[in-house]
Amino acid sequence: MTQVTRVVVTDLKRTQIVMYAGASGDYNPLHTDEPYATEIAGNPTVMAHGMLTMGLAGRVLTDWFGHENILRYRARFKAPVWPGDTLTVTANVTSMAEGRAEIALVAVNAAGTAVLTGTATALVTGETE
Amino acid sequence: MTDLHALAAKVAAEGEGPRLPAASPVDQTMIRHWTEAIGDANPRYRGQDAIAPPAMIQVWSMYGLDRASARRIRVPLDDLLDALTEAGYTGVVATNCEHTYHRHVVPGDELTSATRLTDLAGPKKTALGDGYFVTWNVTWYAQDEPVAEMIFRLLKFRPREKRSPSEERKPYPLRPAQNRDTAFFWEGARSGELRIQKCGDCGELRHPPGPLCPSCRSTERTYAVAAGTGVVYSYVVHHNPPVPGRETPFVVAVVELPEGVRIVGNVVDCAAAEVEIGMPVRVAYHVMDDELTLPMWTPVQHRES
Repeated sequence: MTQVTRVVVTDLKRTQIVMYAGASGDYNPLHTDEPYATEIAGNPTVMAHGMLTMGLAGRVLTDWFGHENILRYRARFKAPVWPGDTLTVTANVTSMAEGRAEIALVAVNAAGTAVLTGTATALVTGETE
Repeated sequence: MTDLHALAAKVAAEGEGPRLPAASPVDQTMIRHWTEAIGDANPRYRGQDAIAPPAMIQVWSMYGLDRASARRIRVPLDDLLDALTEAGYTGVVATNCEHTYHRHVVPGDELTSATRLTDLAGPKKTALGDGYFVTWNVTWYAQDEPVAEMIFRLLKFRPREKRSPSEERKPYPLRPAQNRDTAFFWEGARSGELRIQKCGDCGELRHPPGPLCPSCRSTERTYAVAAGTGVVYSYVVHHNPPVPGRETPFVVAVVELPEGVRIVGNVVDCAAAEVEIGMPVRVAYHVMDDELTLPMWTPVQHRES
Protein backbone atom coordinates (compact mmCIF):
# COMPACT_ATOMS: atom_id res chain seq x y z
CA MET A 1 0.00 0.00 0.00
CA THR A 2 1.61 3.25 -1.11
CA GLN A 3 -1.40 5.55 -1.42
CA VAL A 4 -4.43 6.23 0.71
CA THR A 5 -7.36 8.44 -0.25
CA ARG A 6 -10.01 9.25 2.29
CA VAL A 7 -12.79 11.76 2.85
CA VAL A 8 -11.98 13.25 6.25
CA VAL A 9 -14.98 15.54 6.57
CA THR A 10 -18.25 15.83 4.69
CA ASP A 11 -20.18 19.12 4.68
CA LEU A 12 -18.17 20.72 7.47
CA LYS A 13 -20.55 22.24 9.99
CA ARG A 14 -20.07 25.49 11.86
CA THR A 15 -20.74 23.39 14.94
CA GLN A 16 -17.60 21.38 14.29
CA ILE A 17 -15.58 24.59 13.98
CA VAL A 18 -17.01 25.68 17.33
CA MET A 19 -16.24 22.26 18.78
CA TYR A 20 -12.65 22.53 17.58
CA ALA A 21 -12.35 26.02 19.03
CA GLY A 22 -13.43 24.62 22.39
CA ALA A 23 -11.26 21.53 22.19
CA SER A 24 -8.16 23.39 21.07
CA GLY A 25 -8.57 26.63 23.03
CA ASP A 26 -8.33 28.73 19.84
CA TYR A 27 -11.26 31.17 20.03
CA ASN A 28 -9.98 33.64 17.44
CA PRO A 29 -13.10 35.48 16.23
CA LEU A 30 -12.17 34.64 12.62
CA HIS A 31 -13.29 31.12 13.53
CA THR A 32 -16.10 31.80 15.99
CA ASP A 33 -17.78 35.15 15.34
CA GLU A 34 -19.72 35.52 12.09
CA PRO A 35 -20.24 39.31 12.25
CA TYR A 36 -16.54 39.80 12.99
CA ALA A 37 -15.50 37.40 10.23
CA THR A 38 -17.72 39.04 7.62
CA GLU A 39 -17.92 42.72 8.55
CA ILE A 40 -14.49 43.35 10.06
CA ALA A 41 -12.26 40.71 8.53
CA GLY A 42 -14.14 40.81 5.22
CA ASN A 43 -14.37 37.04 4.83
CA PRO A 44 -17.43 35.32 3.36
CA THR A 45 -18.09 33.57 6.67
CA VAL A 46 -16.22 31.94 9.57
CA MET A 47 -13.09 30.11 8.49
CA ALA A 48 -12.11 26.69 9.80
CA HIS A 49 -8.91 26.62 11.86
CA GLY A 50 -5.88 25.57 9.85
CA MET A 51 -5.08 23.29 12.73
CA LEU A 52 -8.51 21.67 12.39
CA THR A 53 -7.73 20.83 8.77
CA MET A 54 -4.28 19.64 9.84
CA GLY A 55 -5.85 17.44 12.52
CA LEU A 56 -8.44 16.04 10.13
CA ALA A 57 -5.81 15.25 7.53
CA GLY A 58 -3.48 13.83 10.19
CA ARG A 59 -5.91 11.01 10.85
CA VAL A 60 -4.89 9.51 7.54
CA LEU A 61 -1.29 9.34 8.84
CA THR A 62 -2.05 8.07 12.33
CA ASP A 63 -4.51 5.43 11.16
CA TRP A 64 -2.09 4.27 8.48
CA PHE A 65 1.25 4.22 10.28
CA GLY A 66 0.24 4.15 13.94
CA HIS A 67 0.24 7.10 16.27
CA GLU A 68 3.59 6.46 17.88
CA ASN A 69 5.31 6.22 14.50
CA ILE A 70 4.66 9.70 13.19
CA LEU A 71 7.93 11.58 13.51
CA ARG A 72 7.19 14.73 11.57
CA TYR A 73 4.13 16.33 10.01
CA ARG A 74 4.37 19.54 8.02
CA ALA A 75 1.46 21.42 6.56
CA ARG A 76 0.93 24.44 4.34
CA PHE A 77 -2.45 26.09 4.55
CA LYS A 78 -3.03 26.80 0.87
CA ALA A 79 -6.61 28.01 0.85
CA PRO A 80 -9.29 28.68 3.43
CA VAL A 81 -11.69 25.97 4.53
CA TRP A 82 -15.30 27.09 4.95
CA PRO A 83 -18.47 25.61 6.42
CA GLY A 84 -19.99 23.22 3.90
CA ASP A 85 -16.63 22.01 2.61
CA THR A 86 -16.00 18.34 2.02
CA LEU A 87 -12.32 17.49 2.26
CA THR A 88 -10.61 14.53 0.66
CA VAL A 89 -7.07 13.66 1.66
CA THR A 90 -4.69 11.73 -0.54
CA ALA A 91 -1.44 10.55 1.03
CA ASN A 92 1.38 8.98 -0.97
CA VAL A 93 4.56 7.29 0.15
CA THR A 94 7.19 9.07 -1.88
CA SER A 95 10.24 7.22 -0.61
CA MET A 96 11.22 4.59 1.90
CA ALA A 97 14.65 4.21 3.49
CA GLU A 98 16.06 2.86 6.74
CA GLY A 99 12.63 1.95 8.05
CA ARG A 100 11.24 5.41 7.47
CA ALA A 101 8.58 6.41 5.01
CA GLU A 102 8.38 9.88 3.53
CA ILE A 103 4.80 10.82 2.78
CA ALA A 104 3.28 13.62 0.72
CA LEU A 105 -0.31 14.51 1.36
CA VAL A 106 -2.86 16.90 -0.04
CA ALA A 107 -6.35 17.83 1.13
CA VAL A 108 -8.72 19.11 -1.55
CA ASN A 109 -12.21 20.56 -1.29
CA ALA A 110 -15.15 19.56 -3.46
CA ALA A 111 -14.06 22.03 -6.16
CA GLY A 112 -10.69 20.26 -6.33
CA THR A 113 -8.78 23.17 -4.78
CA ALA A 114 -5.90 22.12 -2.56
CA VAL A 115 -6.57 23.58 0.88
CA LEU A 116 -3.64 21.89 2.60
CA THR A 117 -0.47 20.32 1.30
CA GLY A 118 1.96 18.57 3.53
CA THR A 119 4.71 16.09 4.08
CA ALA A 120 5.32 13.64 6.86
CA THR A 121 7.89 11.16 8.05
CA ALA A 122 6.81 7.92 9.71
CA LEU A 123 8.59 4.93 11.19
CA VAL A 124 7.51 1.83 9.33
CA THR A 125 6.90 -1.26 11.40
CA GLY A 126 5.98 -4.64 9.95
CA GLU A 127 2.30 -4.06 10.54
CA THR A 128 1.96 -1.04 8.30
CA GLU A 129 3.29 -2.57 5.10
CA MET B 1 9.18 49.96 8.26
CA THR B 2 12.69 49.16 9.37
CA ASP B 3 11.62 49.63 12.99
CA LEU B 4 9.62 46.40 12.72
CA HIS B 5 12.71 44.58 11.53
CA ALA B 6 14.73 46.17 14.31
CA LEU B 7 12.16 44.98 16.82
CA ALA B 8 12.20 41.53 15.24
CA ALA B 9 15.99 41.40 15.56
CA LYS B 10 15.70 42.35 19.22
CA VAL B 11 13.01 39.72 19.85
CA ALA B 12 14.97 37.07 17.97
CA ALA B 13 18.06 37.91 19.98
CA GLU B 14 16.17 37.12 23.16
CA GLY B 15 16.01 33.55 21.89
CA GLU B 16 13.82 31.04 23.58
CA GLY B 17 11.55 32.82 26.01
CA PRO B 18 10.72 31.46 29.43
CA ARG B 19 9.36 27.95 29.59
CA LEU B 20 5.74 28.46 30.40
CA PRO B 21 3.91 25.63 32.15
CA ALA B 22 0.83 24.22 30.48
CA ALA B 23 -2.41 25.09 32.25
CA SER B 24 -2.84 21.48 33.35
CA PRO B 25 -1.14 18.13 32.81
CA VAL B 26 -1.94 16.13 29.69
CA ASP B 27 -5.21 14.40 30.45
CA GLN B 28 -7.75 12.06 28.94
CA THR B 29 -10.63 14.52 29.02
CA MET B 30 -8.85 17.04 26.83
CA ILE B 31 -7.82 14.23 24.48
CA ARG B 32 -11.40 12.99 24.32
CA HIS B 33 -12.75 16.47 23.54
CA TRP B 34 -10.17 17.04 20.82
CA THR B 35 -10.60 13.65 19.14
CA GLU B 36 -14.38 14.00 19.30
CA ALA B 37 -14.17 17.46 17.72
CA ILE B 38 -12.06 15.98 14.92
CA GLY B 39 -14.32 12.94 14.71
CA ASP B 40 -11.49 10.49 15.40
CA ALA B 41 -12.83 7.43 17.24
CA ASN B 42 -9.53 5.55 17.18
CA PRO B 43 -9.36 3.40 20.36
CA ARG B 44 -5.69 4.30 20.84
CA TYR B 45 -6.84 7.59 22.37
CA ARG B 46 -9.07 5.98 24.98
CA GLY B 47 -8.68 4.00 28.16
CA GLN B 48 -5.79 3.15 30.45
CA ASP B 49 -2.93 3.33 27.94
CA ALA B 50 -4.25 6.27 25.94
CA ILE B 51 -1.80 8.53 24.16
CA ALA B 52 -2.37 12.06 22.93
CA PRO B 53 -2.82 12.52 19.17
CA PRO B 54 0.42 13.93 17.75
CA ALA B 55 -1.30 16.80 15.90
CA MET B 56 -2.82 17.90 19.22
CA ILE B 57 0.53 19.03 20.65
CA GLN B 58 -0.17 22.75 20.36
CA VAL B 59 -3.36 22.42 22.38
CA TRP B 60 -1.49 21.66 25.59
CA SER B 61 -0.02 25.15 25.74
CA MET B 62 -3.12 27.11 24.71
CA TYR B 63 -4.39 29.56 27.26
CA GLY B 64 -7.80 28.11 28.06
CA LEU B 65 -10.91 30.17 28.63
CA ASP B 66 -9.61 32.76 31.07
CA ARG B 67 -8.75 35.36 28.45
CA ALA B 68 -7.93 38.09 30.97
CA SER B 69 -5.17 36.17 32.71
CA ALA B 70 -4.03 34.80 29.36
CA ARG B 71 -3.24 38.34 28.25
CA ARG B 72 -0.96 38.83 31.23
CA ILE B 73 1.25 35.93 30.13
CA ARG B 74 3.56 37.36 27.52
CA VAL B 75 6.43 36.03 25.49
CA PRO B 76 8.82 38.28 23.52
CA LEU B 77 7.06 37.28 20.28
CA ASP B 78 3.91 39.07 21.51
CA ASP B 79 5.75 42.41 21.32
CA LEU B 80 6.33 41.91 17.61
CA LEU B 81 2.78 40.71 16.88
CA ASP B 82 1.38 43.69 18.80
CA ALA B 83 3.67 46.09 16.94
CA LEU B 84 2.47 44.69 13.61
CA THR B 85 -1.14 45.16 14.68
CA GLU B 86 -0.44 48.73 15.76
CA ALA B 87 1.27 49.40 12.43
CA GLY B 88 -2.00 48.53 10.70
CA TYR B 89 -1.31 44.89 9.90
CA THR B 90 -4.44 43.80 11.73
CA GLY B 91 -5.39 40.83 9.56
CA VAL B 92 -4.00 37.44 10.41
CA VAL B 93 -3.94 34.15 8.58
CA ALA B 94 -1.89 31.05 9.34
CA THR B 95 0.16 29.79 6.41
CA ASN B 96 2.41 26.98 7.64
CA CYS B 97 2.67 24.58 10.53
CA GLU B 98 5.43 22.02 10.86
CA HIS B 99 5.43 19.52 13.69
CA THR B 100 8.30 17.30 14.76
CA TYR B 101 7.45 14.65 17.33
CA HIS B 102 10.33 13.34 19.48
CA ARG B 103 8.08 11.09 21.50
CA HIS B 104 4.36 10.69 21.96
CA VAL B 105 2.70 12.51 24.80
CA VAL B 106 0.70 10.61 27.40
CA PRO B 107 -1.76 11.58 30.15
CA GLY B 108 0.13 12.80 33.18
CA ASP B 109 2.87 14.55 31.21
CA GLU B 110 3.45 17.98 32.67
CA LEU B 111 4.55 20.05 29.70
CA THR B 112 6.19 23.41 29.39
CA SER B 113 6.58 25.33 26.18
CA ALA B 114 9.09 27.89 24.99
CA THR B 115 8.73 30.17 21.98
CA ARG B 116 11.34 31.91 19.90
CA LEU B 117 11.00 34.12 16.86
CA THR B 118 12.91 32.79 13.89
CA ASP B 119 11.99 35.10 11.03
CA LEU B 120 10.17 38.25 9.98
CA ALA B 121 9.81 38.69 6.22
CA GLY B 122 8.23 41.66 4.53
CA PRO B 123 6.55 43.85 3.73
CA LYS B 124 5.28 41.71 0.88
CA LYS B 125 2.36 42.10 -1.46
CA THR B 126 -0.11 39.24 -1.07
CA ALA B 127 -3.56 38.46 -2.35
CA LEU B 128 -4.97 39.55 1.00
CA GLY B 129 -3.05 42.81 1.17
CA ASP B 130 0.44 43.98 2.12
CA GLY B 131 1.82 42.07 5.04
CA TYR B 132 4.61 40.44 6.98
CA PHE B 133 5.26 36.75 7.39
CA VAL B 134 6.18 35.94 10.97
CA THR B 135 7.77 32.58 11.74
CA TRP B 136 8.39 31.19 15.17
CA ASN B 137 9.42 27.98 16.79
CA VAL B 138 7.80 26.37 19.82
CA THR B 139 9.43 23.55 21.77
CA TRP B 140 7.45 21.49 24.25
CA TYR B 141 9.31 19.91 27.13
CA ALA B 142 8.44 17.23 29.66
CA GLN B 143 10.81 18.21 32.44
CA ASP B 144 13.95 18.84 30.37
CA GLU B 145 13.15 16.41 27.61
CA PRO B 146 11.95 18.03 24.39
CA VAL B 147 8.93 16.02 23.25
CA ALA B 148 7.84 18.02 20.23
CA GLU B 149 8.65 21.11 18.18
CA MET B 150 6.58 23.30 15.96
CA ILE B 151 7.48 25.85 13.32
CA PHE B 152 4.52 28.15 12.81
CA ARG B 153 4.20 30.87 10.19
CA LEU B 154 1.46 33.38 9.80
CA LEU B 155 0.76 36.39 7.67
CA LYS B 156 -0.09 39.64 9.41
CA PHE B 157 -1.66 41.78 6.70
CA ARG B 158 -3.18 45.18 6.20
CA PRO B 159 -6.74 44.48 5.03
CA ARG B 160 -7.64 46.20 1.79
CA GLU B 161 -9.47 49.49 2.05
CA LYS B 162 -13.22 49.17 2.26
CA ARG B 163 -14.67 49.62 -1.18
CA SER B 164 -17.42 52.02 -2.09
CA PRO B 165 -20.99 50.69 -1.81
CA SER B 166 -21.30 50.20 -5.58
CA GLU B 167 -18.23 47.96 -5.52
CA GLU B 168 -19.44 45.96 -2.57
CA ARG B 169 -21.87 43.86 -4.52
CA LYS B 170 -20.71 40.30 -4.05
CA PRO B 171 -19.69 38.54 -7.25
CA TYR B 172 -22.29 36.08 -8.46
CA PRO B 173 -20.77 32.73 -7.55
CA LEU B 174 -21.43 30.87 -10.79
CA ARG B 175 -19.36 32.06 -13.73
CA PRO B 176 -20.16 31.04 -17.29
CA ALA B 177 -17.31 29.97 -19.53
CA GLN B 178 -16.02 33.17 -21.10
CA ASN B 179 -13.45 32.71 -23.81
CA ARG B 180 -12.66 33.83 -27.35
CA ASP B 181 -15.62 31.88 -28.69
CA THR B 182 -18.15 33.23 -26.21
CA ALA B 183 -16.90 36.70 -25.24
CA PHE B 184 -19.09 38.44 -27.84
CA PHE B 185 -22.19 36.85 -26.30
CA TRP B 186 -21.46 38.09 -22.77
CA GLU B 187 -20.42 41.51 -24.01
CA GLY B 188 -23.74 41.65 -25.82
CA ALA B 189 -25.66 40.71 -22.68
CA ARG B 190 -23.94 43.52 -20.78
CA SER B 191 -24.95 46.00 -23.44
CA GLY B 192 -28.50 44.67 -23.76
CA GLU B 193 -28.13 42.66 -26.95
CA LEU B 194 -28.90 39.01 -27.50
CA ARG B 195 -26.11 38.12 -29.88
CA ILE B 196 -26.22 34.88 -31.85
CA GLN B 197 -23.13 33.60 -33.56
CA LYS B 198 -23.28 33.68 -37.35
CA CYS B 199 -21.02 31.97 -39.84
CA GLY B 200 -18.89 34.53 -41.66
CA ASP B 201 -19.10 32.49 -44.87
CA CYS B 202 -22.46 30.74 -45.25
CA GLY B 203 -24.34 33.00 -42.80
CA GLU B 204 -25.90 30.20 -40.77
CA LEU B 205 -26.76 31.04 -37.14
CA ARG B 206 -25.58 28.72 -34.41
CA HIS B 207 -25.86 28.58 -30.65
CA PRO B 208 -24.09 27.90 -28.34
CA PRO B 209 -21.08 29.60 -29.92
CA GLY B 210 -18.20 27.53 -31.21
CA PRO B 211 -15.09 27.92 -33.32
CA LEU B 212 -16.34 26.11 -36.43
CA CYS B 213 -19.47 26.33 -38.58
CA PRO B 214 -21.22 22.93 -38.42
CA SER B 215 -22.61 23.43 -41.94
CA CYS B 216 -19.64 24.65 -43.98
CA ARG B 217 -16.76 24.19 -41.51
CA SER B 218 -15.67 27.77 -41.88
CA THR B 219 -13.83 29.35 -38.97
CA GLU B 220 -14.99 32.81 -40.03
CA ARG B 221 -17.58 34.05 -37.59
CA THR B 222 -19.60 37.10 -36.78
CA TYR B 223 -22.89 37.56 -35.01
CA ALA B 224 -26.45 38.70 -35.48
CA VAL B 225 -28.53 40.49 -32.87
CA ALA B 226 -31.69 38.53 -32.14
CA ALA B 227 -35.07 40.20 -31.68
CA GLY B 228 -35.17 39.00 -28.09
CA THR B 229 -38.40 37.03 -28.32
CA GLY B 230 -39.04 33.33 -28.27
CA VAL B 231 -41.21 30.51 -27.02
CA VAL B 232 -40.51 27.92 -24.34
CA TYR B 233 -39.44 24.80 -26.19
CA SER B 234 -38.83 22.74 -23.04
CA TYR B 235 -38.09 23.39 -19.38
CA VAL B 236 -37.34 21.93 -15.97
CA VAL B 237 -38.14 23.24 -12.51
CA HIS B 238 -35.05 22.97 -10.33
CA HIS B 239 -35.80 22.24 -6.66
CA ASN B 240 -32.63 20.49 -5.49
CA PRO B 241 -29.73 20.53 -4.93
CA PRO B 242 -29.24 24.11 -3.70
CA VAL B 243 -27.39 26.35 -6.14
CA PRO B 244 -25.08 29.10 -4.84
CA GLY B 245 -26.57 32.55 -5.32
CA ARG B 246 -30.00 31.18 -6.22
CA GLU B 247 -33.26 30.59 -4.45
CA THR B 248 -35.07 27.41 -5.39
CA PRO B 249 -37.26 26.51 -7.14
CA PHE B 250 -36.25 28.14 -10.38
CA VAL B 251 -37.03 27.37 -14.00
CA VAL B 252 -34.43 26.47 -16.60
CA ALA B 253 -35.87 26.56 -20.10
CA VAL B 254 -34.80 25.93 -23.65
CA VAL B 255 -36.19 28.90 -25.56
CA GLU B 256 -36.68 28.68 -29.31
CA LEU B 257 -35.95 31.95 -31.06
CA PRO B 258 -37.71 33.06 -34.26
CA GLU B 259 -34.20 33.34 -35.75
CA GLY B 260 -34.06 29.54 -35.65
CA VAL B 261 -31.74 28.66 -32.78
CA ARG B 262 -32.51 27.53 -29.24
CA ILE B 263 -30.96 29.00 -26.16
CA VAL B 264 -30.94 27.94 -22.51
CA GLY B 265 -31.99 30.43 -19.85
CA ASN B 266 -34.05 30.98 -16.73
CA VAL B 267 -37.71 31.90 -16.94
CA VAL B 268 -38.35 34.56 -14.29
CA ASP B 269 -41.11 36.90 -13.13
CA CYS B 270 -43.69 34.13 -12.94
CA ALA B 271 -44.43 31.14 -10.72
CA ALA B 272 -42.75 27.91 -11.78
CA ALA B 273 -46.18 26.27 -12.07
CA GLU B 274 -47.26 28.84 -14.66
CA VAL B 275 -44.50 27.99 -17.12
CA GLU B 276 -45.60 25.82 -20.01
CA ILE B 277 -44.26 24.62 -23.30
CA GLY B 278 -45.11 27.02 -26.10
CA MET B 279 -45.34 30.01 -23.76
CA PRO B 280 -44.16 33.21 -25.44
CA VAL B 281 -41.29 34.89 -23.61
CA ARG B 282 -39.13 37.96 -24.00
CA VAL B 283 -35.52 38.41 -22.99
CA ALA B 284 -34.68 40.45 -19.88
CA TYR B 285 -31.14 41.28 -18.86
CA HIS B 286 -30.34 40.58 -15.23
CA VAL B 287 -27.23 42.26 -13.88
CA MET B 288 -25.72 39.63 -11.57
CA ASP B 289 -22.61 41.60 -10.59
CA ASP B 290 -20.17 44.12 -11.99
CA GLU B 291 -18.99 41.77 -14.72
CA LEU B 292 -21.82 39.42 -15.44
CA THR B 293 -25.21 40.03 -17.01
CA LEU B 294 -27.41 37.01 -17.69
CA PRO B 295 -30.12 37.02 -20.34
CA MET B 296 -33.27 35.60 -18.74
CA TRP B 297 -36.80 35.22 -20.04
CA THR B 298 -40.05 36.72 -18.83
CA PRO B 299 -43.54 35.75 -19.97
CA VAL B 300 -45.09 37.97 -22.60
CA GLN B 301 -48.46 39.07 -21.22
CA HIS B 302 -51.36 37.99 -23.38
CA ARG B 303 -52.75 41.47 -23.53
CA GLU B 304 -49.44 42.62 -24.98
CA SER B 305 -49.24 39.93 -27.60
